Amino acid sequence: MISGLAFSSSQVQYGTGEAPYAGADTVPATTAEERMNIRQFVSESYPQNTRLGAWQDLLADLHLRSISHAQEQEADTFATASVRGDPQGVVLGRLTAGSQVLSPILQRCRLPIGLVPIDEDMEIHIGNEILRVAPGTLAVMPMNLQWEIPLERSVHIVAVTISESTLQGRRAGWLPVSTPRQYPSTGLAAIFIKSLVAAASEMERLSVVEWQSLEQVIADLFQTMVVEADDGDATPTPSVAALFNRVTLTIERHLHDPELTANRIARLEGISERYLQKLFEQNGESFSHYLRERRLQRARTALVAPGDIRTAVADVAYNCGFGDAANFNRLFKERFGLPPGAFRNRHADKLAESASAEQRGWPVKALAHKKHQQRVAVNDAASADINAPSRQSNPATHHHLAVGAANVHWGYFSRSLKPVLEIRSGDMVEVETLTQHASDDPALMIQGDAAAEDVFFWSKDRKAVDRRGAGPIDASIFGRGAGEGFGVHICTGPIYIKDAEPGDVIEVRINDIVPRPSRSPGYEGRSFGSNVAAWWGYHFSELIQEPKPRENVTIYEIFADGDQGYAEALYSYRWSPQVDPFGIVHKTYDYPGVPVDKSSVEICDTVLSGIRIPLRPHFGVIALAPREADMIDSVPPAYFGGNLDNWRLGKGAGVYLPVSVPGGLLSIGDPHAAQGDGELAGTAIECSMTGRFTIILHKKDGRFADLTYPLIETPTEWILTGFSHPNYLAEFGAKGQGEVYAKSSVDLAMKDAFRKARRFLMGTHGLSEDEAISVMSAAVDFGVTQVVDGNWGVHAIIRKSLFNA
Amino acid sequence: MKHYRLPATPDTVHWGYFSKTLEPKLTIKSGDRVTIETITHHANDDYERMIVGDTAAEEIFRWTADEKTVRRRGAGPDKGSFQHGAGEGLGVHLLTGPIEIEGAEPGDVLEVRILDAYPRPSASPEYKGRFFGSNPSANWGFQYNDLIEEPKPREVVTIYELDMTEPASLSALYSYLWTPQTDPDGVVHPTIDYPGVRVDHSTITKKEGILSGVKVPARLHFGTMGLAPAEADFVSTIPPNYTGGNMDDWRIGKGARMYYPVAVPGGLFSAGDAHASQGDSELSGTAVEISLTGEFEFILHKKADLPGTILEGLDHPLFENDQVWSVYGFSVANYLTELGPNHQYEILKRSSLDNAMRDAFRKLRRFLMTVHKLSEDEAISLMSVAADFSVTQVVDANWGVTGSMRKCVFVRP
Repeated sequence: MISGLAFSSSQVQYGTGEAPYAGADTVPATTAEERMNIRQFVSESYPQNTRLGAWQDLLADLHLRSISHAQEQEADTFATASVRGDPQGVVLGRLTAGSQVLSPILQRCRLPIGLVPIDEDMEIHIGNEILRVAPGTLAVMPMNLQWEIPLERSVHIVAVTISESTLQGRRAGWLPVSTPRQYPSTGLAAIFIKSLVAAASEMERLSVVEWQSLEQVIADLFQTMVVEADDGDATPTPSVAALFNRVTLTIERHLHDPELTANRIARLEGISERYLQKLFEQNGESFSHYLRERRLQRARTALVAPGDIRTAVADVAYNCGFGDAANFNRLFKERFGLPPGAFRNRHADKLAESASAEQRGWPVKALAHKKHQQRVAVNDAASADINAPSRQSNPATHHHLAVGAANVHWGYFSRSLKPVLEIRSGDMVEVETLTQHASDDPALMIQGDAAAEDVFFWSKDRKAVDRRGAGPIDASIFGRGAGEGFGVHICTGPIYIKDAEPGDVIEVRINDIVPRPSRSPGYEGRSFGSNVAAWWGYHFSELIQEPKPRENVTIYEIFADGDQGYAEALYSYRWSPQVDPFGIVHKTYDYPGVPVDKSSVEICDTVLSGIRIPLRPHFGVIALAPREADMIDSVPPAYFGGNLDNWRLGKGAGVYLPVSVPGGLLSIGDPHAAQGDGELAGTAIECSMTGRFTIILHKKDGRFADLTYPLIETPTEWILTGFSHPNYLAEFGAKGQGEVYAKSSVDLAMKDAFRKARRFLMGTHGLSEDEAISVMSAAVDFGVTQVVDGNWGVHAIIRKSLFNA
Repeated sequence: MKHYRLPATPDTVHWGYFSKTLEPKLTIKSGDRVTIETITHHANDDYERMIVGDTAAEEIFRWTADEKTVRRRGAGPDKGSFQHGAGEGLGVHLLTGPIEIEGAEPGDVLEVRILDAYPRPSASPEYKGRFFGSNPSANWGFQYNDLIEEPKPREVVTIYELDMTEPASLSALYSYLWTPQTDPDGVVHPTIDYPGVRVDHSTITKKEGILSGVKVPARLHFGTMGLAPAEADFVSTIPPNYTGGNMDDWRIGKGARMYYPVAVPGGLFSAGDAHASQGDSELSGTAVEISLTGEFEFILHKKADLPGTILEGLDHPLFENDQVWSVYGFSVANYLTELGPNHQYEILKRSSLDNAMRDAFRKLRRFLMTVHKLSEDEAISLMSVAADFSVTQVVDANWGVTGSMRKCVFVRP
């Protein structure tokens, strides 16, 4: 469950359990020591003008520095880093660095630095030469040579430095590496690289003892890999172990060759076949058995590798050096108990099960595979989903943006969408929005409403809005439907704001918000909403009443009556498998807009009797297009706004959003009639609404120079939005869209809210850090925004009246 | 109904711990009212403003090479050689009490109504009649390991003045960086590691003119109120727990009613740790710590009478005022029983909002199902659309999330 994972991720918080007044020789002694050698940097902590200095300090721990280009930095300033270790031992760092150039602090250290890019290629420029380092491979760079790593956007790098004394303790006569080296991820290097990456992601969780033993391992592996390999180059008689190691590497490289024989390997290595066989005997193996085992293992991996999932079994066999598919099937079954096809199917089922039950959005494992397909998806977004021609700028200042299949995008944000309206700063826009939950009772919320009927239209031949979510258009992961429901919100827009450029800020002010009346015969003029206690809800993992688990839908009627409006529950039903018009069965609420067949569910008529929910009409989603990927899941909120799910974002309130792409590309949706802080069950009272907005463009100026997150303003308060991962797209890279669901935590969101509140008070109100902290303790209220949107939220409420004096 | 007064004196206070072994300072009946004086354990952050001339405060805080009026401060050892001092500062709050409620037995629930709360005026000739409080940004604060300005780490004490002119508000007077303080027994306190050490103002540098133009609205409340737990003889006042204690919720002021499960005969109620204001989270480790006097009314709800009331099945503190009911989720719901004999230290490693949020969800669900007779599905839908979860505090070892439900939701009589 999402929440279960969140429990463990709360352990990331080191040093927060500081012992007030407790005996310093007991508990806190260790935590204090642990703190000593972990340093972290989060750009969200620092006002723009001090950010660079703090960043350089941290890089210096790795003997690196940033050669910054001021303008470029401004556009993409997000960076986080954690570094652990002692300069006398091993220093390990995990960096997420925005656009800049990294280079060594020359002669600071005689020993080389190891660098592993995680998601994307990294280039190292040495004079006129360019070294290209593939993701997951290692570059070892000397520190007495000038080189530069230009980074264009947020890139994830794991870096390691090892002190001379650490290595000399192991072996004398070690000479520094003088030329750059590259190590592909095979053999010992693979182990080393994987250890580094794993250690980097777990470093905060390791005790001092655990860390020390890890240092040993890293130093040992490094020595064997770099130093001994050097010796191997220099001396003609490598040790038997080194030779065997090399032989296995050569075998690895030739596994695909069905003609591979012991004789061939022996020739490649320049030894006799007899000696080769002896080498294997010494390791308790035989060459032929070893070769078969390696081929089977590789086939087993390839069968379920995300990138190879469509490769036919026979081709997998062939790629792994099996000349005969039937023979391969027999051997595979003998070895692993299942024929290869069945093995693959079982794996796919498991993946689907775990992903659909435990996590919304992109399954992490599928992402690598889908990376290239996203590009395809974009074209589709621009052409198939959005048919409306871009309208010309309207000289009038009032606009009306009606909802309809041509004016919405469903479940995703994209910088590639064509605008459906272009406006100028200061214009007023009336925007109609539809709730994606209208299909929970189509008779009340869709029928008779031409626009809603248009958007939700879905027959066995045609689906008006095909793509729902940022997933693959061919639903090749779970088969739920186009877009896979990786993102669920119907968003009206995007609206292009003239002259908006990256670095500007767009203010979206809500002048009014009213529920959309039903046009259904018999219900005209009334308004309805739906609250789904869904599988992504906070409660789902620990229901106490039977049957477990279950999803429950409660339909509410909305009585909007000025400030005294309220909602009352009409009826509820338990979700039962629904068949969509294309024939796909939805066992859970896994795809938005599936019309619920009321005759298929059991209605409970007396629900929440005597209970009236005071209305808090607001928009759950107000977003600008993110800069990172082309297709972004609409569920996790982040720096660009999105699914903020803060009920304070209603009439009279506004939100300031940083602009990432030209025109901003504003989308609005996910209207709510009421929600509590926490949005516990996974949804609010989801109810179609129409809003009247004023949109104001703030060009880069002093006032908002430091805004890197959605800032909400009400007449009396500033509300700062903290997230578990403030910029999860940059932080997790290509994997981010799935990973953020697994790594959400109230603790992390609280940290972020604290850092943002401190920065706001220091930057906007000119307080010192000490003043800001005292005010936060005495007068700033932190609340739980939501624990259901993948990227969990904690907000900080700063009353404006504090500063009136 | 009787009305008593319980002044704060060396005889009526206990410092840093709850204990079922303490002799009651006052015995009352259900329905009685008591005026209770409390004195903040941070008064010595500015001795001149908060202690001088106030006989009771002077006596309680008296500590010379020969004499220490209130020796034990905390639930730690009070014999042998100390690292910080007797009680080891394992618990810091200066509490007035305990008050015994006649007939209270384990299984009952004690209701405590706060009828009024007002500040204790300075008795110093120079500041007579004015009100002062202290807000240290301390080593146990949320910010301590995440500071961005030098020197790091650091503790900073900010002294505030409370202006009771309606609407009451606070303004900062000055601040200072904590410097190592030597107590009268010769122990050096490099950080704020023991309560009631007088800060020698000749060792600090006052920074004036801070937070100019900033006025913090007052939220007078009692940070620590609760009953003696049954599990151990001496229990630190820092982590809040099932019998209440250091709840640090600013709503626990005038108009609040708190309900506490009784764990030992007589209940043994104590109050202190008064605050002039605090935000949800109490981020820096403390609120604006001030001395307050409160008017309290006590009502004992016997176990047999609980079914059918909002107290049915209650095994944790419950808050009520005219607008809401609130439950308190903790990182560990009852750390005394859950964490074994070393609980006082174990709890320091368990601080987590994620666990507190879980606990708050469970407690509120139970409350809605038991008290309001909702099905689980109804309770969950209602929580999603109408319950508000907020961060109570992230500094009291056992971190807290408050789950609140508005009463106006229930229109049925």
